[in-house]
Amino acid sequence: MIWQLDLSILSLIVVCAFATIMVKDLLSAAIIFGAYSFLMCLLWTEMGAVDVAFTEASVGAGVSTVLFIAAVHQTTRRVGFRKSGRGLSKAIGLMAALLTGLVLLIAEMDFPDFASPFSPASLHLSPYYITQTLHDTNVPNIVTSVLADYRGFDTMFETAVIFTAGLAVIAILRRYKKDDRCELPAPYIISEGYPDTIIRFVARQLVPFIQLFALYVVAHGHHSPGGGFQGGVIIGASFILLAISYDTKMIIGLMSERSNILLGNIGVLIYAGIGFLCLLLGANFLDYSVLSKILPATDKVMARSHGMLGIEIGVAIAVMAIVISIYINIISCGKYKNEE
Amino acid sequence: MDIIIVLLSVSGLIFFFATTVGLLRFPDFYSRMHAAGKGDTLSSLIMLMALVLYNFHEFNLASLLVAAKILLIGVFIFMASPTATHAIIDAGYESDIQPWTKEPEEES
Repeated sequence: MIWQLDLSILSLIVVCAFATIMVKDLLSAAIIFGAYSFLMCLLWTEMGAVDVAFTEASVGAGVSTVLFIAAVHQTTRRVGFRKSGRGLSKAIGLMAALLTGLVLLIAEMDFPDFASPFSPASLHLSPYYITQTLHDTNVPNIVTSVLADYRGFDTMFETAVIFTAGLAVIAILRRYKKDDRCELPAPYIISEGYPDTIIRFVARQLVPFIQLFALYVVAHGHHSPGGGFQGGVIIGASFILLAISYDTKMIIGLMSERSNILLGNIGVLIYAGIGFLCLLLGANFLDYSVLSKILPATDKVMARSHGMLGIEIGVAIAVMAIVISIYINIISCGKYKNEE
Repeated sequence: MDIIIVLLSVSGLIFFFATTVGLLRFPDFYSRMHAAGKGDTLSSLIMLMALVLYNFHEFNLASLLVAAKILLIGVFIFMASPTATHAIIDAGYESDIQPWTKEPEEES
């Protein structure tokens, strides 16, 4: 913690947050929001939460900016303001924001200091994780073991939340019929993509390495920051890079809608399936240590490590499929195939 | 060793500063992107080199691995940053942004 650095990053974050709201051009707002996410990522790195920072960099600054820009590209760049009732609603909003801020400030006074060793969180549970993780699970990265093992149930439903988000996007955006009952803007024709040799060549060269890096992030999450969420997002981003530099049809050819939804299901199923496998073998749900009965040449400790790897792979598959399907649904206005 | 590291990082900072000045002061889109693309790539590479050398204060396998990773980031920047600049400038050219000229434009 260097307070000068913290202060400058925090003030930049506040400036970015205000700019995101004030800017009239939605494309600029999306890009400033990306900068906001990246500054948050820097702040978290500085506070020592590298896993969270990695997630923020890949999800917040990376993919969600791309999704925002795709949505702006398909709709409009200008903010439409309502004429009537602006003053009153603004006043109500300001009051609500001020009240919430005051309540939060009052609550903040009861908080323990940052990283205080005497706070309840670091007195009861954290020492156990810090001292026992390596002994229990043979995983050096405590964050991964807490995320995937000790609190694996939470992470399972996080994956389910992401899956549900993908389903919601499909339910809202996907248009199956040619004639729409409601008025929607005519979908922007997805062109063949502007044939630019340089961009295409570099994208083609980079994509295998990006995917290799994503697999490394998934598999190496036990030892370094990373894991299923980040790795899945990076693989999805590599497909989105191809979709941007070539054309969307190619990605639809590679990852059709059917296989996309199937992969999303399979990812969640792997996670829940490992949990149920543990139940079948006579232990608690998601208690991986019992997997040593069926995995060859593993004791109970290594079985927990392998179980974590299994669920990380499930998470990565689900996140990858959902990211790609959200992107394709937004960029093609839910048509998925352009020729209809 | 330390002198080289300090020289590299300071020159990287100077290039970053020049990039920022160019980004703010140049008259039109193309020249601004010119400053941003070139200066950004060069200064990031120089500062990454400084980090690699700084990492070699303790020479062992771990520091070698970290150096290799930093160099990979350098390769990535070396490929991605000019391409991104090219893509942005190309998009600007496609949407008919007129380059700045010294003579004031004639009224048509």
